[in-house]
Amino acid sequence: MKILCMVKIVPDVDKFKYDFDTNTVVRENVRMILNPDDASSVGVALKIKHLYPGTTVEVVSMAPESVRPLIYDLVRVGVDRVNLITDKLFSGSDSYATSKVLAKYVQTLSYDIILTGTHAIDGDTSHVPAQLGELLDMSQMSNVIHIDEELLDTTKAVFTVDFDSEVATYEMQLPGILSLRKESGYKLPYIKYEDMNKDVTDSIHVITNNDLGFEPFEIGLKGSKTKVNKTFVKEYEKRDKVVVTNDDQGINTVYAFLQEKGFI
Amino acid sequence: MLSKDQIIQKLMEMLGQEQINTNPDDLYDASADRYKKYAKARKVLDVPTPVAIVYPKSAEEVSELLKFCNENLINVIPRGGKTATEGGLENWKDLTIVIDALYMDKILKIDPYNSQATVQAGVALQDLEDELRKIGYTTGHSPQSKPVAKYGGLLATRSIGQFSTLYGGIEDMVVGLECVFPDGHISRIKNVSRRAGGPDIRHIAIGNEGTLCYITEVTIKIFKFYPENNKFYGYLINDVETGIKVLREVMVNGFRPSVARTYSEEDAAQHFYHFHDNKCVLLFMAEGPKGIVEATGKAIEEATEKFKDGIIKQVDSQLISDWFDNLNWSQQDIDDEYEGMIENDAHAGYTTEISADWETIPKIYNNVIERVRNEFPRAHELTMLGGHSSHSYLNGTNMYFVYNYEINCAPEDELLIYHHPIQKIIVEETLRMGGSMCHHHGIGKYRNEWAEQEHGSAFYMLEKLKESFDPKGIMNYGTIFPQKEAIQKYIYRG
Repeated sequence: MKILCMVKIVPDVDKFKYDFDTNTVVRENVRMILNPDDASSVGVALKIKHLYPGTTVEVVSMAPESVRPLIYDLVRVGVDRVNLITDKLFSGSDSYATSKVLAKYVQTLSYDIILTGTHAIDGDTSHVPAQLGELLDMSQMSNVIHIDEELLDTTKAVFTVDFDSEVATYEMQLPGILSLRKESGYKLPYIKYEDMNKDVTDSIHVITNNDLGFEPFEIGLKGSKTKVNKTFVKEYEKRDKVVVTNDDQGINTVYAFLQEKGFI
Repeated sequence: MLSKDQIIQKLMEMLGQEQINTNPDDLYDASADRYKKYAKARKVLDVPTPVAIVYPKSAEEVSELLKFCNENLINVIPRGGKTATEGGLENWKDLTIVIDALYMDKILKIDPYNSQATVQAGVALQDLEDELRKIGYTTGHSPQSKPVAKYGGLLATRSIGQFSTLYGGIEDMVVGLECVFPDGHISRIKNVSRRAGGPDIRHIAIGNEGTLCYITEVTIKIFKFYPENNKFYGYLINDVETGIKVLREVMVNGFRPSVARTYSEEDAAQHFYHFHDNKCVLLFMAEGPKGIVEATGKAIEEATEKFKDGIIKQVDSQLISDWFDNLNWSQQDIDDEYEGMIENDAHAGYTTEISADWETIPKIYNNVIERVRNEFPRAHELTMLGGHSSHSYLNGTNMYFVYNYEINCAPEDELLIYHHPIQKIIVEETLRMGGSMCHHHGIGKYRNEWAEQEHGSAFYMLEKLKESFDPKGIMNYGTIFPQKEAIQKYIYRG
């Protein structure tokens, strides 16, 4: 079985600090990470590879060259090959332009199933997986929290989807696109200590616009349909910390708080 | 060379059945100490399990066991309360017997007139403390492991307690002791108030970490206890340097508070959640007869007044008192931590403790913090990095570096990826600045690669002791005395 994982490298927005004095987000020293939902997609792919020897896992990511250390680590945990789509012309692409680039490249590959994340923590539009499905003319389903590995083959996938109101099991004809959520619990394996500096450059395949042949007006900012009207930083209120002791008064305070918030 | 079965057979000829433990779970537990607690909890320990744990009931039985091991080249790990933190109880040999002091648990004599008490090696510190409190006395010794630690281990590791600034470390409390050497010889060092009978041979046993002899009995000083006079002082301060200056001022002026501590803001935040306000914390406890407590309290107030520019405010002394009441671990705390490590990918409270003179300690602290933040490849995964000074002397103090981190690696890789690189920076920086890399946890197995650097030309004296008392090298292989091949195998996995 050939599994294709589409991943995005994103800033670790959970680690942003907020300066309450200036009402600004402190962006210094924020690290780039593999988008958590996407990490789950690679996690389940590697789990399937472990269960079924002969399975290959290939990753596709559109990103600047600077993400190389992160994609090296994907090979070090078991991904067979990473296809890095990178070109200055792609810079500024919105989800529509990004989907076009990804779809054009993916059409050159052979695969049985595409796995992606559902949300990206930096933009959170969730457009790309569905747009890929449209451009590749195949089914796509988001919010996947479980893939039945025993029933998975090259023709179909049985999987569980968590909607806000219900959890349902579906079957999809393959090839198709399943988009996972980190709540699935699928995790990337850790890199073994001995492999931490392993040379994996042979497993990285770089694709530029020379390979894809887009006209400049089709991609990047010019090719994007999204026009940003205004951006602003959400303001947060500094919360006061209340310390209570383990006595009747403390218990009453905690109880009243939980009641106020609707937990009790 | 005897096989494992032959060793067990021989042990059964020497001891009763209840004195030999070959339960696989207990042997797994005995193969490492708290240094590898995360790997241990995740069942991925990479060291051999011992052949058996044995529980002698007397010095004579210890003597027979050691003679047997010496003749048959079987490694011996002496064990007490199992609270070692530096790998001293970790096993690096295929043929190892753990000699546990479980049944040597008698309080032999409490002698308030002469201010001393005699106990066997397996007596828990807490048990003696409880007995002494009934007659208005205290051991004066209160390591965080107090409810669990036993006297044999306290001596063997040169333990120190939270009230050391007044009562001293264990080495200041030991009057006399009994110990057994690998050839079976039992030595008793008599109990006298002081003597000039050549070098102080108590110090061959104290701090030997089970590498020279097995301690079977100890007589320690006991002290009158005046809890009703205790006074507590707590302050929020600007920085660690201010705290160190105040500690020094109190000490060099000749006062001995039982507790004298200063915490970095990061470390203070995890200890004093109820009042730290993201500042450094300075605290004292004055203890003893009323007049001494009052004089000590006055000295503390004068010292804080002298450095008032660095002091933000004094906090309610009750907050400090309450904190002390909940400071020590219980066995339940240790068990809960172990269970937590099965569930969570995080390590809270790893420490490396060093010491130096007053002038040097702030420099080491600042250098270490800067180097860890800039050089440690996983600095972004640290959830806490800070430290505190908690044991002060006339000429200097200690620094307890404390660090917590998320664990994003396989459990068996944790120490190499996280703890060891941080520990290396701390040790390197301390030795470079002329301090000691091991204030009170001992060298164990995980600092022995720097043992020669720690002692310099004086390491010769330690080597000669080892050659003399343990010529076959059966005592706690790999502890204190570096073994290159074993270091490569068990630390660096080369």
